[in-house]
Amino acid sequence: MVAEKETLSLNKCPDKMPKRTKLLAQQPLPVHQPHSLVSEGFTVKAMMKNSVVRGPPVAGAFKERPTKPTAFRKFYERGDFPIALEHDSKGNKIAWKVEIEKLDYHHYLPLFFEGLCEMTFPYEFFARQGIHDMLEHGGNKILPVIPQLIIPIKNALNLRNRQVICVTLKVLQHLAVSAEMVGEALVPYYRQILPILNIFKNMNDEQWAKWIRAGQTLKQARAVRHPSLESSQGTTGKRPQEGADGAGSPSRHFWFNEANFQQL
Amino acid sequence: MASSDAKPKSVSRAKKWSEEIENLYRFQQAGYRDETEYKQVKQVSTVDRWPETGYVKKLQRRDNTFYYYNKQRECNDKEVHKVKIYAY
Repeated sequence: MVAEKETLSLNKCPDKMPKRTKLLAQQPLPVHQPHSLVSEGFTVKAMMKNSVVRGPPVAGAFKERPTKPTAFRKFYERGDFPIALEHDSKGNKIAWKVEIEKLDYHHYLPLFFEGLCEMTFPYEFFARQGIHDMLEHGGNKILPVIPQLIIPIKNALNLRNRQVICVTLKVLQHLAVSAEMVGEALVPYYRQILPILNIFKNMNDEQWAKWIRAGQTLKQARAVRHPSLESSQGTTGKRPQEGADGAGSPSRHFWFNEANFQQL
Repeated sequence: MASSDAKPKSVSRAKKWSEEIENLYRFQQAGYRDETEYKQVKQVSTVDRWPETGYVKKLQRRDNTFYYYNKQRECNDKEVHKVKIYAY
């Protein structure tokens, strides 16, 4: 009759007040579940027993960076480039107002490389096609300009834009086979070019294809990624020493293969 | 050998790709019928060619701009039927 006594002493409105019950001897004590506290890491709150530390924020390694206006766009709009756009049955073609052999490569080639950051027509088309033509017909004029090309290449890769990365890798492949000793000339600049490629090194084909824009086929994405990041043969001169850049360095995988370039 | 002001007597369309068709394609892209007309108009004796393949490398158009062509084949099979072959 314990329950009745308690209700008589406490209960003035029996319908509203809940009935209190007492535990029987065999019944175990209810375990009090502490309320978990979500907290940021490396705080005093995180040191508490019942706190659950929230994971670190996303670093944004794969996040695309916004583009800035380039010198290429400025020069193009001013009409400083000796190029004109022609439309033919295959699409667009570039017509040169001056013979490429007579161009000052020290002035124009770095400017065209700066246009690699562009993603809109006609800038990206002119940059891409202009680089292709200049590398195709440059000969020994290309080698002295290599140091001036590294910063534009690095800036283009740092955008983390898949389209831009694809185009830049193709340009790098063409650059390596464009003239003698260009491959060796690029070796001192691996530390500036390769880190961004190291970020995407482990991205599998499905992820890569997913992020490529519409219009790029998966075959092209694989063809671009495979020889640039996984080629093993050198184009000119010897392969860099295995230990030169440290074991496990991505530069071991980064060597252009002329045969692979031809497949592109 | 055609004379300096020779005009073609007949024209036909290419049916199958060949190296000659490739070069004709390149001349016609630049706005000329063929190598004969290019040499007549530009008053040149030779045309820039790729030493490896023998394809036309560079042409100057009538507006004096330059067209540069790749070392490899540029004329797709889809474009072959558009190439005109002139007979003198």
